[in-house]
Amino acid sequence: MANSEAREVFGRGIVRGVAQGEVLVCKEAISFLGDLDIRSGRIVGNLPSAQGKSVKGRVLVFPATIGSAGAWRFLYQLFKHGAAPAALVTREPPDPSVVQGAILAGIPIICEVAEPIEQLLRDGDLVEVDGGRGVLLVAASAAPGRGSRA
Amino acid sequence: MRLTAEEEAMLSGVRGPAVQRAMDGLVQLGRAFGAAEMVPIGYAHVHAGMALYLHDVELMEELADLGARMAVPASVNIANADTVNWAQTGAPEKLARLQQRAATAQHRLGASCSFTCTPYWAGHWPTWNTHMTSIESTVTIFCNSVLGARSNRDGFFAVYAAIAGRYPKFGYHLDENRRGTHRVHVSASPCVTSDWSALGYFVGRQVGSGVPVFEGPAFSRRPSLDDLDALGAALATSGGVALFIVPGVTPPFTTVADAFGGTLPPVTIDVGEREISQIYAELCNAPDEQFDLVHLGCPHASFEEMKLYAEMLADKKIARGVELWITTSRAVRTMASEAGIVSVLEASGAKIISDTCPISCHFARTVSPDPALEVSPPRLRSVVLDSAKQAKYVRDMIQCATLFTGTSEAVETALSGRFVPRRIHAVS
Repeated sequence: MANSEAREVFGRGIVRGVAQGEVLVCKEAISFLGDLDIRSGRIVGNLPSAQGKSVKGRVLVFPATIGSAGAWRFLYQLFKHGAAPAALVTREPPDPSVVQGAILAGIPIICEVAEPIEQLLRDGDLVEVDGGRGVLLVAASAAPGRGSRA
Repeated sequence: MRLTAEEEAMLSGVRGPAVQRAMDGLVQLGRAFGAAEMVPIGYAHVHAGMALYLHDVELMEELADLGARMAVPASVNIANADTVNWAQTGAPEKLARLQQRAATAQHRLGASCSFTCTPYWAGHWPTWNTHMTSIESTVTIFCNSVLGARSNRDGFFAVYAAIAGRYPKFGYHLDENRRGTHRVHVSASPCVTSDWSALGYFVGRQVGSGVPVFEGPAFSRRPSLDDLDALGAALATSGGVALFIVPGVTPPFTTVADAFGGTLPPVTIDVGEREISQIYAELCNAPDEQFDLVHLGCPHASFEEMKLYAEMLADKKIARGVELWITTSRAVRTMASEAGIVSVLEASGAKIISDTCPISCHFARTVSPDPALEVSPPRLRSVVLDSAKQAKYVRDMIQCATLFTGTSEAVETALSGRFVPRRIHAVS
């Protein structure tokens, strides 16, 4: 992503690492145990805003994780099947098991982004997540409460 | 996050690459959850390396190859096959052989390779204020609530904590989080262990990841260790509960007010017989009551439970065509075997399975084994069981119906070949 076209939005870095990808917005909280098919990365849980879409290689933007002590395994299995998201951007801090799985799988996470992410980002936007610095690099045209988009 | 000189040295690699990798992960975890420092741990219940997941046994082998060793006493969680009697369960040999590799890796790591969800019945009994870690939520809640140890509901990082001998100090390691959030009055009279399981399942759903504090006539007598185990396992299944408090039982709380830090909040949840019955009804959803398996031993049976099963099954035969599984740790199985209990159970036709259980074995449909292992889960109509935890996961993972009933009713089911629903027991 060329810097001239991008701006930095700050959040809290949870898991370090830098990754780029197209955004996939899911408006509901996600349980990594059950909501995703670990072989394909497809969303199979009852998440109406993103059902049937694949998280593979995407920057998955969602409000929160639903706690399960087994969540780490499913993130790690997504990674081992080549179906993991490139990065996670959450509104609330994810639960410890998700953080453990992400560290194990090398999936950067940032949370508590300074702007309302579900309005800021749309499916298909190319973004970069820097989990170490807690920075989300978005296209300069993306702005909070932006209007309709061509 | 403040690290000691020794922890800094671990992080910089002075103690080798495995300790460095472990400490690096733990520091990231600690920062994510605002831990001010690390705390030395005294015990860890760690991941097995599971043969039904891709590259999962190999993950433990890699750590052993990297020179990792457990810095604290470590027990090992449940696995995906009975590593000795796999043929009894219909598991493919290739799966069992891969699972055996995990045992070899655990021995190299220095863990006590218990392959169980109830390491406490196998002698791992952490005491009051022991900081610890556990990958199994049933172990977390038992150790927090019955023994007064301090544990979060962890994932893979229980392994890292065991290797580093440290854990970031957050969550249930801090006094401020070890106090009640919900006051629960139990007017029902749980009489048998499965009733405690139903009670936990009902309350777990109400409190989410809160800390329920129990009171009422049900607690006028101290619940048995098996009852407390069943209560905790169910609370940790329907909710995200890591700690429950029974004043007088859970260290160091002596009264309900104590458990709330001195002030007595109003009762927010009341559990009567109706709520208990509702859970039994909800977890019975096989319309024609046809079943392929009767299961006892979730969580893995204690020695006391093995004795109870033997009393019920002595000199009897289970019905033709019925499969009865009793799951317990290999350590308890060995004790039961030496006590003559296993031969009594086996004479009835029951199968004693260790290292795994129905939801952890090749019956599960939510796993992702290497196709070369030739795992193919059988189609089951339903499973008869005496544990709400097992029921929830049979539905989610084996994806078949369940018939939840009392332990003695489940045994009668196996003997008669016809499902016996739960009877409400009189309070003795």
